[in-house]
Amino acid sequence: MTAKEIVAGIFCCIGTFFFILGTTGLLRMPDIFSRLHPSTKCDTLGACSVIVGMAVYSGWSWDLLKLIFIACFLLLSSATCGHAIGRSALRRDIPYWRRQDEGAKSGDGA
Amino acid sequence: MNWLSAVLGERILGTAKAFRRRGLLFVIMILFWIILTASLALHEMLLGAICSAAVAALTVSLLGRALDPHITPAVLLRLPLFMLRLIWEIVKANLDVARIILNPGLPIDPRIVEYRTYLPGDLPRTVFSDSITLTPGTVTVELRGDLLNVHCLCPYHEEGLAGLERLVAWLFGVRRDGEVRKGG
Amino acid sequence: MDEFLTAVALVISLNAVICLYRAAVGPTTQDRLLGVNIVGTKTLVVVILVTFILAENYFLDVAIVYALLLFVVTVAVSRYLEAEGWKEAES
Repeated sequence: MTAKEIVAGIFCCIGTFFFILGTTGLLRMPDIFSRLHPSTKCDTLGACSVIVGMAVYSGWSWDLLKLIFIACFLLLSSATCGHAIGRSALRRDIPYWRRQDEGAKSGDGA
Repeated sequence: MNWLSAVLGERILGTAKAFRRRGLLFVIMILFWIILTASLALHEMLLGAICSAAVAALTVSLLGRALDPHITPAVLLRLPLFMLRLIWEIVKANLDVARIILNPGLPIDPRIVEYRTYLPGDLPRTVFSDSITLTPGTVTVELRGDLLNVHCLCPYHEEGLAGLERLVAWLFGVRRDGEVRKGG
Repeated sequence: MDEFLTAVALVISLNAVICLYRAAVGPTTQDRLLGVNIVGTKTLVVVILVTFILAENYFLDVAIVYALLLFVVTVAVSRYLEAEGWKEAES
């Protein structure tokens, strides 16, 4: 175990944690617009941190450049994909979920 | 003024602008080629230059619109700082969303708000909406003109938008009042 | 290190299988598309991990093309759904 492998392992663990979080959010959220939040944020950060871990693991080589390219592209593309899916849902007039039980929770009014 | 010269010399500058677009596209293509081939040998570079030139000449009308007016050296210089700041915001956003998801009560109160931005041009607005999507609890679901429809997970997430807009304005060197270049 | 990377890849693959639930039973078509997109992102990461487990460099090119293809597929399908919706709304 070198220091490089330990750092790569830590990044991989962080990434896996965020992937599990994204899956949980995808299953728990009530409607399509809310599901966009965990999928665009947690999945992007999970993928990027695994890629950063692998970049640390690979060291100075051409693989590093390719991994950085994939990470930058993922940052751009997942946000754009989320926006495209959200826009198509909005234009199909899919209603979005609102909290109904104002009295049950101690939430603020308006 | 900037726009005056642009209007007067449009026909003269037209060819120069198209040439600059082709050059920029060529640089992007050849960088992508170098990443794909992973070598700097002479014959690879020569083949890559030929292919990149052909692709840049053929697709400039298709891809050139996305590149032109706002990419300046100053913006490219500020881009790494912007990326660092954005990554910090993304990490904060993820911790926030994690807290919401792992809470058994699922404390969300989603709503779609409209936000009118003062950023000019397509590229700054695109960067702004992508940044919104990646930062706390907000997803851009529609971008039409200068009006953004933003889906917020909780009401307090809406407050972060103005600061993010200031950050993108700083990246592109846009001031709030002046210098709204129309007709771009 | 190889065992550790294999374990990470297995956990991520398991996540992808769970995400297929959303792609299978999602109430709207957009939910299914979102599920497919997420499964694609996870597959991309698994391909990157496999690159380093097997120590084969050329899998990274596969990963790059996979990322580009995933983006194009998602945007194209969502644009298609959008256009279909407009047609229905007008008629």
